[in-house]
Amino acid sequence: MSAKVISLMCERSCDLSEHVDEKGQLKDVNGVYIVKFPCSGMIQPLMVEAALKSGAEGVIVTGCQIGDCYYREGNKMIRERLLGERPPGLKKTVDRRRVLGVWLSKVQPARFINDVKEFIAHIDKLEPIQAEAKK
Amino acid sequence: MYTEPLTTATQNFENWTNKIFSSKYNPFYYHGALPQFYLWVLFLSGLLLFAYYIPTIDNAYASTQLINAYSSVDYITNTIPFGVVIRGIHRYAGDAMVITILLHMARVWFTDRYRQYRIVQWLSGVVLLLLVLVIGQTGYYLVWDQRSLVLTRMTVAALEALPFIGNGLRAWFLNGQTISNFTMSNFLFIHIGLSFSLLFGLWIHYIRMQRPVVTPPPAINYILMATIMLVVFAFPIHMEPGGMAHLTDQPNSFEMDWFFLWPYYIMANAPMWAFWAVMIGGTALLCYLPYFVRTKEVEAAEVVLNKCTGCSLCANDYPYAAIEMVPAPAGSRFKLLATVKPYRCSGCGVCVGACAFDAIDLPDLLDTDVTNKIKALAQQG
Repeated sequence: MSAKVISLMCERSCDLSEHVDEKGQLKDVNGVYIVKFPCSGMIQPLMVEAALKSGAEGVIVTGCQIGDCYYREGNKMIRERLLGERPPGLKKTVDRRRVLGVWLSKVQPARFINDVKEFIAHIDKLEPIQAEAKK
Repeated sequence: MYTEPLTTATQNFENWTNKIFSSKYNPFYYHGALPQFYLWVLFLSGLLLFAYYIPTIDNAYASTQLINAYSSVDYITNTIPFGVVIRGIHRYAGDAMVITILLHMARVWFTDRYRQYRIVQWLSGVVLLLLVLVIGQTGYYLVWDQRSLVLTRMTVAALEALPFIGNGLRAWFLNGQTISNFTMSNFLFIHIGLSFSLLFGLWIHYIRMQRPVVTPPPAINYILMATIMLVVFAFPIHMEPGGMAHLTDQPNSFEMDWFFLWPYYIMANAPMWAFWAVMIGGTALLCYLPYFVRTKEVEAAEVVLNKCTGCSLCANDYPYAAIEMVPAPAGSRFKLLATVKPYRCSGCGVCVGACAFDAIDLPDLLDTDVTNKIKALAQQG
């Protein structure tokens, strides 16, 4: 059984238009959903938390290459927020092992799919999330 | 968008350079800071040259030996230890500045980062580019060799050709009616004075950006400086073979610098009206470029007035200085309130990511909707 992973993604980072169906599910890997943002800087740490609380087994935050944000600094901001270097940060109770940040340009969808597969293999090895947190 | 293939090409190229430099030290990620670095190099080397430069074409008080612009430049080049190196740095850093400005311009154009909320940056950038070209050209007038004489006469001819203001500009440029000592001091003033006005232009260039990147990392600075030094020693500066200019000379050719002196090539090979048409038309075209593409207006972010706590996080994080913190209205529990200047908003949503109180929203993409969508996706199946 494959893990359910949600990727919060900048629409200007890797171009998945050929890899995603109309529901936002990744075709190449089972159980991976894409949620698009105008910039990864819009992603709130609360959203990462909400996804994990509602039953997702992992969250991938995807932005453009660090240094090449279309809006200049969005990807650095969300990276710093996830690392706890910039307010508002990710809550301390969130399981860091289930959150991944990948920084890819538009022309690197293959690398994204590769990273997703590795991440799922990594999540499958973790102990399952407790049932009460899933409700 | 017509720039999309260009964006893809740029990103493919930069992914390749990332393999060499890593994204932290990729010089193309500091494209705007590269000319800024060369500007400091030019200021410093120019200061050293200024210490020995004498802005005259003859010196009435020197009875035994002629001391003028040419002989002072000759002294810098051939007598002062490392004077030729400083002159070389000043010359080639200027060329490098033009190259890096063109690179910067091409990159923001190719990656579609020059329009809408970036319009002030683009227009001030066009002005800065023109200023840099003019400053570089005046640098060539200062040497007072045969090339200076040709360039001065060609510039006078170009200015004279302008209707109504031509004669005024000519008198301003020569600082009188003919080439004299006053002309040389005017050239020096234009060269240095306009250089300082670059700083004013850069202020406008940066004013709508939060935390503009104005310095590359030191590692890149070393590479930039090393490149200059390589060229300085590979192609050392020498005095032009024609020697000092005399007002009676009629020189008609000179060694070309394609980065700064290309307008004179047009001037020499086309009628004067065509020269001005190319110059003015080219500038107008550059200024019009951002308006050439029509896209839908950005839906500006909106502040939820009763939720904003005045914490300033959105104003700090927003990249284009669109959010201003104003005193909160009377009766508020907080001191400040965030306000959005809609014409500066890029619709990127970075302010939404910065807000821990759900007090700022993009009207066409509410963060509550996104959170609900994420929850629904996580719960199903």
